[in-house]
Amino acid sequence: MLRFILRRTLGAIAILLVISAVTFFLFYAIPRNPALLACGKGVCTQEQLAVVEHNLGIDKPVPQQYIEYMSGLFIGRDFPAGSCPAPCLGFSFRDNRPVLDTILDRLPTTVSLTVGGALVFLVLGLAFGMLAAARRGTLLDKTMSSTSLVLSSMQIYFLGPLALAVLVHNTQLLPQPQYVPISEDPWGWFQGLLLPWLVLSTIFTANYTRLSRATLIEQLQEDHVRTAKAKGMAPRTVFFRYAWRGSLIPIVTIFGIDIGSLFGGAMITEYTFSLHGLGRLAVESVTQSNLPMLMGVMLFAALMIVLFNIVIDACYALIDPRVRLD
Amino acid sequence: MSKRSLGAKRAAGVSLALAGALILSACSSGGGGGDGEGNGEEESAAPEELATISFGTAEDSQGPAEPVEGAESGGTVTVLQQTSPDHLDPAQIYVSHESNIARLIHRGLTAVHLDNDGAYTVVGDLATDSGQVSDDGRTWTYTLKDDIYFNDGSPITSADLRHTFERQFAPFIAQGPTYVQQWLAGTEGVDYRDLLPDGPYEGDHLPDSILETPDEKTVVFHFDEPQNDLPYALAIAGYAVVSEEGDTRERYDQEPLTSGPYQIDEYRPGRSMTLTRNEHWDPATDPARNAYPDRFEISFGHSQEDSTARLMADNGDDQTAMTFNNGLDAGNGPTVMEDPQYRERLVDGFQPYVAQLAINLDRVTDPTVREAIVQAVPLNGVLNAYGGSIGGEYAGGLLSPLLPGYDADYDPFGKLANPRGDAERARELLEEADAVGYELNYVHNTVPEDTEAAVAIADALEAAGFEVNRSEVPPETYYDTIGVVDSGYDIYRSSWGHDWLSAATVIPPQFDGRQIQDGASNYSHLNDEHVNSEIDRIRRIPDAAEAAAEWAELAAHIQEELIPGVPTFYYRQTVMHGSRIGGAVFNDDIGSVDMNRIYVIP
Repeated sequence: MLRFILRRTLGAIAILLVISAVTFFLFYAIPRNPALLACGKGVCTQEQLAVVEHNLGIDKPVPQQYIEYMSGLFIGRDFPAGSCPAPCLGFSFRDNRPVLDTILDRLPTTVSLTVGGALVFLVLGLAFGMLAAARRGTLLDKTMSSTSLVLSSMQIYFLGPLALAVLVHNTQLLPQPQYVPISEDPWGWFQGLLLPWLVLSTIFTANYTRLSRATLIEQLQEDHVRTAKAKGMAPRTVFFRYAWRGSLIPIVTIFGIDIGSLFGGAMITEYTFSLHGLGRLAVESVTQSNLPMLMGVMLFAALMIVLFNIVIDACYALIDPRVRLD
Repeated sequence: MSKRSLGAKRAAGVSLALAGALILSACSSGGGGGDGEGNGEEESAAPEELATISFGTAEDSQGPAEPVEGAESGGTVTVLQQTSPDHLDPAQIYVSHESNIARLIHRGLTAVHLDNDGAYTVVGDLATDSGQVSDDGRTWTYTLKDDIYFNDGSPITSADLRHTFERQFAPFIAQGPTYVQQWLAGTEGVDYRDLLPDGPYEGDHLPDSILETPDEKTVVFHFDEPQNDLPYALAIAGYAVVSEEGDTRERYDQEPLTSGPYQIDEYRPGRSMTLTRNEHWDPATDPARNAYPDRFEISFGHSQEDSTARLMADNGDDQTAMTFNNGLDAGNGPTVMEDPQYRERLVDGFQPYVAQLAINLDRVTDPTVREAIVQAVPLNGVLNAYGGSIGGEYAGGLLSPLLPGYDADYDPFGKLANPRGDAERARELLEEADAVGYELNYVHNTVPEDTEAAVAIADALEAAGFEVNRSEVPPETYYDTIGVVDSGYDIYRSSWGHDWLSAATVIPPQFDGRQIQDGASNYSHLNDEHVNSEIDRIRRIPDAAEAAAEWAELAAHIQEELIPGVPTFYYRQTVMHGSRIGGAVFNDDIGSVDMNRIYVIP
């Protein structure tokens, strides 16, 4: 198992290196001079532009900039506008602070939103899926299937404002969504994120219900399940030990991808509820041409996705012993 | 005196976003109100003409500020904003959403005070009066008040003011206003920095012949030319005081010392800012700020939809919420404007920007062809794209309704009378110029409003007999594109807003032919000897009212005789506040709600 994880981790580092290089060259190759923004249009002379470019470190060849960027991750960097201690993901010249500081400022919101939402949709999705599969063909199954079809075709930008208008602004059944750190006020944290969790998880719950129902039904028809049943094993044991466990593999795969991208930022949810997570930070960086910030957020999101893929791979190995033999 | 195009671009960008959402208005615009509750009862579609702002005396400059009727101290005001400030260093502040916050935390030598009768006065803020002028406007002397401190408890002295103006020349100061630096350096270009290339940081200082601080309380400006607008200029947030001892250069932008009634308790860029009382601020020294709330909780990232929906619902803490710059959104706007229950909670007025379709005079050289363009352009098509009659009002002239010298009936080409445009008259003019089929290269940006307006303009021009080649560029590069002298384009939108209530910040930056260069703001490339000499002459007129009349006359001459473009509309803005916010009035000087008069209704 240790070797398995080690192998995957080395692979992940290689992937991250490739992503960082591609992202870096892509962003810094585009014809948009961040120095011009920092220099101030109209008051900017050529000499001053050169000074600003030097201060930003963008007067050097792109490969050299990339090497400096990567070494900054380990040894930190110093800029005239401030220092960027290791691990330095870049320095934002828009607000004169290390990119990582801003990412870490936004991260708790993203983590809270993702973990809370994922917990809700995973538990509800699996439970509903199981119920539907166990009662296949009944009214309950049909109701659940059709409801989940309707809900999974909804969009957050529709459900979110609707829920806000109905549950918050008009009836005040739920409090105004906001992020309060859990360390400051656990109840406020819970209340503030309740509606975003519900809305975010509504669509995911529907998807996971459909997915887990389908895979469970498939598993229930597998040979080994039929054999277990024929051998007289209790239906409950057959269901959970054989069928359900087997049905988890595709769900874990999808869950890994979903949660990885949610950690990279749930942009629409964040915008709908005026939350400040990584998704909004990414969009803001694009609109403000804040390349160092964008680069940092992209790398961080990539790291999250790669990281969760390793975790998921490890989970496969736990669920399915055959994987470990690969 | 040049206004930077980036300032114009960003400012206009803000108004685009704001104005795009606005719809029909029924509230009065402008001015304060005796009732302290802001938007008046009467309905007025027509803008008011402002009298010139007066320069206040020493008596006017004494604190405390005149109380707002019914106001009480205390409480927390929640502010819902879309955009978080990029800058907190006064010298880097120029755009409106940053200026609004700056007015709560920073003080300058002067301030523009809006009183209970709706009158505006330039008063001494840190200084004892709005300035003592001598030498025909070339020398201005300011004396600092007693008991003025930064929030770290250190006293504000003339050394801090010297430092404030000297550091404006430093290379890292790149986003703020440049008026005073250019006046001190006696230049109109970016070469003003040559006067003190490193700022005060390498041991060099401005000579006493330019900036003099003979004692701890006295600051004297010496200019080559009369600078009669100095008291206005010093009131803009960009010239607020910076502590010499506490200056951390680039880092001052994150953690500045404050001199106003509030200090920054916590700032998380892009997310939130908490302002708490600055205990070292003495209201007895401040004639312009009432500072009733104990605390401002400002949160950022609110779309117009979000802030409008929350303020409409008026639940819980949102009853003491407001916004400085988030206008009504397009979806809720009509409901809010028509429903009387919201009437008391709206503040409405003009923003400083005038939208125009500029004509490149280097390329479209025949005035008859230019007049044909003016006749063809449909003001209604343009304004509808920007939200209709609440997004703005049809423009007759180049001067905003906020400016002294504005005339609501001014309509030289009959555009107000016929906002659909006159295709027939345009075609007649084209035929007269033997130019039917004249090709126009039209560039606009990709913002939906601009694109929609461009379609209306291009259709109307083609109906009149022009051939229009439309191209579009992203909003970030738009002003860079049209700022290139040899851009190859014939017509393009340019929005301009004044920096203080004087046409001196409108006409010269846009129409002084000596300033034509890449990146400059004379977008139509108008270079007329008469205009240039008039600009020089009017700048020397010390009487503000007389100067305002002369500027208006020059603006009319430019528009009617030289036809450098088509004014299309004046931007306006409507903002809402919660039911327990008092004292909300529109301040014409800043083109938004006046944050200094706000109080929480207990």
